[in-house]
Amino acid sequence: MIYRIRHTTHFIYDKPAYESHNEVRVTPRSSPNQRCLSFDLEVTPKAAVLAYDDSFKNHVHAISVHPPHDAFTIVATSVVERLAPRPSTPLRVPFGEFLAEDAARSAQHFEFLNPSTFVPFSERLRKFFWSARPAPTETVVEYTMRIVRYVRDQFEYEKDKTNVHSGVDDILSAGGGVCQDFAHLTIGLLRLAGLPARYVSGYLAPRPGVVSDYADQASHAWIEVLLPGAGWTGFDPTLRSRTTDHHIRIAVGRDYADVPPLRGVYRSAGSTGDMRVELSIQRDGENDPGVVRAQMRNQSQQ
Amino acid sequence: MLRRIADSLFWAARYLERAEWRARLVSVNHNLLIEGPAPAGNPWSSMLAISGDQELFEQHYEDVDERSVLTFFVLDERNPSSIRSCIDAARANARSLRHRISSELWLELNTLHLDAKQWTVARLGTSEVFDFFSQLQERFYRIAGVMNGTLPRGVGFDFLGLGILLERAENVTRLLDIKYHYLLPRVEDVGGPIDLLQWTAVLRSASALEAYRMKYGNLIRTESVVEMLLFDSTFPRSARYCVDRLETALRRVAQAAPEPAPGAVELASDGLAGLLASRSASEVISSGLHDFLIDVQEECERISSAVFDQYLRFE
Amino acid sequence: MSAQSMTNPVPVFDAYRVVSGLFDEMFDLERRPRPGCARVVADLLARDPGRLAELRARADGMFLRMGVTFNVYGMEEGSEKIFPFDPIPRVIDAATWAHLEAGLTQRVRALNAFIQDVYGAGEILKDGVVPRDLVLGCPQYLRAAVGLTPPHGTFVTVAGIDLVRGADGRFYVLEDNVRTPSGVSYVIQNRVVMTRLLPDLVRASGVRSVENYPADLLESLCELAPGGKSRPKVALLTPGIYNSAFFEHVFLSHQMGIELVEGHDLVCVDHKVFMKTVHGLEQIDVLYRRIDDDFLDPVVFRSDSILGVAGITAAIRAGNVSVANGFGTGIADDKAIFAYTPAIVRYYLNEEPLLPIVETHVLSDPDVRRMVLRDLDRFVVKPTNASGGYGVIIGPKATYRQLIEAREGIERDPSHFIAQPVVQLSVHPTLLGEGGGADIYAPRHVDLRPFVLLGKRPRVLPGGLTRVALREGSLIVNSSQGGGSKDTWVLER
Repeated sequence: MIYRIRHTTHFIYDKPAYESHNEVRVTPRSSPNQRCLSFDLEVTPKAAVLAYDDSFKNHVHAISVHPPHDAFTIVATSVVERLAPRPSTPLRVPFGEFLAEDAARSAQHFEFLNPSTFVPFSERLRKFFWSARPAPTETVVEYTMRIVRYVRDQFEYEKDKTNVHSGVDDILSAGGGVCQDFAHLTIGLLRLAGLPARYVSGYLAPRPGVVSDYADQASHAWIEVLLPGAGWTGFDPTLRSRTTDHHIRIAVGRDYADVPPLRGVYRSAGSTGDMRVELSIQRDGENDPGVVRAQMRNQSQQ
Repeated sequence: MLRRIADSLFWAARYLERAEWRARLVSVNHNLLIEGPAPAGNPWSSMLAISGDQELFEQHYEDVDERSVLTFFVLDERNPSSIRSCIDAARANARSLRHRISSELWLELNTLHLDAKQWTVARLGTSEVFDFFSQLQERFYRIAGVMNGTLPRGVGFDFLGLGILLERAENVTRLLDIKYHYLLPRVEDVGGPIDLLQWTAVLRSASALEAYRMKYGNLIRTESVVEMLLFDSTFPRSARYCVDRLETALRRVAQAAPEPAPGAVELASDGLAGLLASRSASEVISSGLHDFLIDVQEECERISSAVFDQYLRFE
Repeated sequence: MSAQSMTNPVPVFDAYRVVSGLFDEMFDLERRPRPGCARVVADLLARDPGRLAELRARADGMFLRMGVTFNVYGMEEGSEKIFPFDPIPRVIDAATWAHLEAGLTQRVRALNAFIQDVYGAGEILKDGVVPRDLVLGCPQYLRAAVGLTPPHGTFVTVAGIDLVRGADGRFYVLEDNVRTPSGVSYVIQNRVVMTRLLPDLVRASGVRSVENYPADLLESLCELAPGGKSRPKVALLTPGIYNSAFFEHVFLSHQMGIELVEGHDLVCVDHKVFMKTVHGLEQIDVLYRRIDDDFLDPVVFRSDSILGVAGITAAIRAGNVSVANGFGTGIADDKAIFAYTPAIVRYYLNEEPLLPIVETHVLSDPDVRRMVLRDLDRFVVKPTNASGGYGVIIGPKATYRQLIEAREGIERDPSHFIAQPVVQLSVHPTLLGEGGGADIYAPRHVDLRPFVLLGKRPRVLPGGLTRVALREGSLIVNSSQGGGSKDTWVLER
């Protein structure tokens, strides 16, 4: 499947912004299942752009605009080939056996087994984990799927209950959240079980004939779990399922803190910056691009 | 030179100069009110009117009397133009560049600030006032001496100078305006004893009385005072003297640029220089001294903005 | 000068007790001066006792006038204090120093290689020499530093290595400081004062000079210039006047002749760093930064920081500016890694470490933990991410309650602590304060912080900062907790 993607981030400032320094992660990653065939980044006004790969091998652009400007636009255009995931046959390893290797795994996959900024191992999380803990005979894969569904079953998809800074305790209190929250919570449970789990940000291409509840989202978040014998395997806690070739990967990390699509600071005499995101994903062979428009939360400023 | 440092030097100097002018103004007028014939109405009210801070005073004080007015002008931290406030502001600016000024200068400023914290209303009781102000004036002279004696001449010193000179030019024009415009006597009082006393007070406030007498003798005439304080290029507190040195300092700062502009530099002070060069005291009095003084103040404001925009603007 | 010349010791000298079980830097157990110390003993200690107090008073006056002060963190403004100074110098003979110098150079080179590796290929982690989870779990391991390649691979330009001397007379490394080590300004100023107070003694002793440090530091900084630029613009980035080491920032920038800047004096344009000067923007090539990593760049680190420069990490990545010390160096001076430093030296240099470290127990190992907890009152327990001596529990001096709290902390989170046996630091004759009789001196515990510069060729400042614990029996030498300093003399011969 070939996708043509256009991701536009647009800022409008009540008073001109200046000395704006940002980092964006909007370049689709290349992997065995996904190839980024082309990528282009256009920034208005003219900006200094530096590209590099971060410690998770996400492609990052450091974008700076110095003189005062009323608006700031970043357009990322890419063509991505998404292959159907290889059928993987994870080994059927019961949990009792799986945990015997804990020590070795803990060193090698330290960053994906331990608490992180948005996934602290809080009392509430531990209690939640305990309420659905794996049985020693349950296999790792069974448990993972169970948890992926369990989280979604316990919480409503609701946009206003949490915000971009919410951690796992916040969704546990709120009872509802968005894809970012489901991903964090699922990761927390899996990590507490000793399963390396990581956060993925990217896009969910609209599927023809499927009316999605999440149509007004731009970025989507899901997870990847390191399953014995299968490597890093994608699951989507919001959709309660494995990932498909509609999931386009942009960046991976421990949690949202490692992969925000845009993070930065700027100076301004004003106090509000309005951010708008537009996403259009078009499948080759389709006529109408699935356009997704979303009003996102305000960016913080200095 | 970092902008922040230049900015702090400029403002430290301005606040210090402002503090000194306040001190002189308050002490001279205080003498006037104590020594001279009693003018009509509450004497302290007119001093308030002079300062332009009447509204602020009324927010905090009920009665207009010696104690409250002196407190307001000397000690009150709620009054940003009080002597104590100006000293605090000067020292706050100097603190961030303490390592760039001489240790002697820092010591003087810091000690003055610490002493000012200890000032009380009791010290401003009638018998102490004279000593208070004369000691304070000595401190200011000493600070000026330390500044001149210990600081190397460079861009930093020029920014100090710009601050002092701009503040000085503004204050001398305001001083003249106060007497000429606000204290304007009835026609029949012109040249009379009160008028004379007031002009003497003006000269004293600028520490110009003796210089005046040396040049003009004992007779105090409006035109001569205006000439001395606005147009005299030799008296250190005349507007003309200030603008001449402003020019020099601005030119030096411009020339210190890594790539100085070739040829003559257009200076922010050109407007003011032109204004003061082209007129004489008698012309200005007949065409309207008050308006002229306002023009001069506006030019000072313009120079200050230009200096800020070009050299000090930070954010 | 031999021991025999002191046939008539003055009463004060008699009262000085050399205690067995402690290494006295100046005297052996028979009260003979150690190598190199004879002249100091004869000229300074064995003479009129009142003179020492007078020297100290004069020194204090000099320091005050010179403005050599520090601000105790959290104290009211106006409470600047002089770092207390003791006029009896600590002497290190040439042979001892040669050994220390070699060991320090070796150690800092290895630490730098370690930092380079963990932010690069990570070979030492793959080879299992240092546990990967220890490194990745360290809060000082900064992911933003992964992939950075500073000029010449130099992450650490300035290191301060804390050394102690045990009862056996050997020097041990107590702690490394490779982020923003401070104290060198006191080293230089102490020497200035001593030279004024005792010019003949200093000259006759043949003491190696420390006055070249600022020039050497500047040279090391210039070597970091991007593209090997020949006359780079260097500046010192300070957090400002409220920082406890501000005096040192001012001092060093003056001595090196470089601009002292704060975060808001700098701006990044086109991924280059500029100073805001009155005549416009002036580009900086090398920044000697004395602010913490956390505050360096609000885009990448703490977003609420106003001390740093937004966008500077991008400028570093672009190779347009070099920063000393590089950010992320804290991984090498974290106490959790400390126990592995001898292995780190062997791994990168294929040499045996010349300087041993103080025995350090990693408490995440259950057997080790059990052993330590059984005798907790014999150990010094240190949290792995504190600084300045705060939070350290010294077993033999701790209250019952403190020991309980330490035990609970260790059991709750063993990876957050290390334990070291209490080292009986060496002692040095030190003047007592008023009340003890101003003319008497007694043994007080000292340590040594030498400073190492890594540039094209590593350089070690002869001597370093000798800190002395002024309270009897106290082992805490930090300035913020009642310590003082001495001039340190490395002899030429």
